[in-house]
Amino acid sequence: MASFTTRAAAQPLKNADELIDSVETFIFDCDGVIWKGDKLIEGVPETLDMLRAKGKRLVFVTNNSTKSRKQYGKKFETLGLDVNEEEIFASSFAAAAYLQSIDFPKDKKVYVIGEDGILKELELAGFQYLGGPQDGDKKIELKPGFLMEHDHDVGAVVVGFDRYFNYYKIHKRYGTLCIRENPGCLFIATNRDAVTHLTDAQEWAGGGSMVGALGGSTQREPLVVGKPSTFMMDYLANKFGISKSQICMVGDRLDTDILFGQNGGCKTLLVLSGVTSLETLQSPNNSIQPDFYTNKISDFLSLKAAAV
Amino acid sequence: MSSSELLSRQNLTGLLDSVDTFIFDCDGVIWKGDNLIQGVSQTLDFLRSKGKNLVFVTNNSFKSRAQYAQKFQFLGISVSPDEIFSSSFAAAMYLKLNNFPPQNKVYVIGGDGILEELRLAGFTAFGGPEDSNKTVDLKQNIFFEHDKSVGAVVVGIDPNINYYKLQYGTLCVRENPGCLFIATNRDAVGHMTAWQEWPGAGCMVAAMCGSTQKEPIVVGKPSTFMMAFLLTKFNVSVSKMCMVGDRLDTDILFGQNAGCKTLLVLSGCTTQSALQDPSNNIHPDYYTNKISDMLDLLDT
Repeated sequence: MASFTTRAAAQPLKNADELIDSVETFIFDCDGVIWKGDKLIEGVPETLDMLRAKGKRLVFVTNNSTKSRKQYGKKFETLGLDVNEEEIFASSFAAAAYLQSIDFPKDKKVYVIGEDGILKELELAGFQYLGGPQDGDKKIELKPGFLMEHDHDVGAVVVGFDRYFNYYKIHKRYGTLCIRENPGCLFIATNRDAVTHLTDAQEWAGGGSMVGALGGSTQREPLVVGKPSTFMMDYLANKFGISKSQICMVGDRLDTDILFGQNGGCKTLLVLSGVTSLETLQSPNNSIQPDFYTNKISDFLSLKAAAV
Repeated sequence: MSSSELLSRQNLTGLLDSVDTFIFDCDGVIWKGDNLIQGVSQTLDFLRSKGKNLVFVTNNSFKSRAQYAQKFQFLGISVSPDEIFSSSFAAAMYLKLNNFPPQNKVYVIGGDGILEELRLAGFTAFGGPEDSNKTVDLKQNIFFEHDKSVGAVVVGIDPNINYYKLQYGTLCVRENPGCLFIATNRDAVGHMTAWQEWPGAGCMVAAMCGSTQKEPIVVGKPSTFMMAFLLTKFNVSVSKMCMVGDRLDTDILFGQNAGCKTLLVLSGCTTQSALQDPSNNIHPDYYTNKISDMLDLLDT
């Protein structure tokens, strides 16, 4: 999405209280902001408590579609954070919410190239699904005369990060065949992140890879429900009845989190506790400038308003 | 742009007079899956008897040239490996012509054909089919290792694509300084069996583009790399060549990019209605049902 507004360079966060007072809702990305892998980032519980004490609404948005909201709720609980399932918006939930918003017919099926999180959310929303991790063991034997069937009732293919990704899923029964041959079949991507921090120590090929594969074989562009698409922002603004100018998006990734916030028209704060370094932010190759940046969210506690 | 002419006795006679070399695509032109298309053998014999050079160019990187020669033989057609240009061979030639240092390794996402051609050209290549059963167990603190001396990742069609291979290739391209990302081709679908289309190399290549956020160097059609290579090798001029293929966005575009004549056959993945559809921008010089029409038109 081309932007012709030149933004001023990001400002280091100095007056945290001013930012906090100017918004009503904070949207937090999770990986690199709240936790890194399975470790909580320093000072997070106290920061969230402080914001809640000030009456701020907290929302957690993640592009990671491997878990459902409920499963994420458990992760927050394990890390000692008091977060309600209703406050969590994973891209797995976004896919199901999108299908609901367009009144996707309940007699049509959804084929999933992805993990459990997507399946659980589709089930909760009352949709019939096929695929997911169980197709991870299916293999294709390219013998002469081999003809694969696909289900003509599939009306949407949802693609997200899939560590069990294989040719069977891409092709057959559902993936490419459905999109190319079932009239009106939707091609939905939970997200297109190139890499993701599945473990703390390194980057791993992300959902962008699986989505790329389906794009390559169908020659179609998917509808993306995760960041930086504004679907989730519009959804929660509508659900909670809040205006975008009252929101601050806090994330560690420029091309998903910050772009999401800018596309949505809200304030943006980049934290350097995740995948983006100060060097990357300030590089001449970077064109995405958040309003503010800081080391980690607990800086909200340590930075005080400048004495007048 | 003028539209395509249906091949006739008259224009075919003119074509045979002006062309020394015929370049044939394979899938959909010579064979479909493992079945020879009707009349191919006699047509190729006829062209050879007229003193024409025959070259076979395929984007399918699954086999090496030697393996393709075996396929031809199995189908009863006499073709030398030197007349075959598979995209697997093209990848090896690209590295050779660009002085890829032999001490750097090549990681392959694809079939044996690519590994064989790379090794024949003297490179250290690994990956390919042997990584098909590898899985990634995302336990806490697992670290995925990759060889830092990999200087190129070559991606072709891979029916055994999996996360391990994507992660390996991704780390090499993103983290090894100067690591090349080479695609044998980007065909969205291919005829792996005679009866239907299957996701092609375009799928695996796009997966890697998705995670590396880089565009690959493409060595197969419609890139002119293979054409430049065989022009040099056979010392022929483009004006005396005709490209014969079944796919508009690879075969015919390949011929047009090079500046030679182009003949579309309808024995493969393109139908007459697709050719004549207003949304189609690629117009071959000629079109016909199948290559053996040449014999019928000349009453041979």
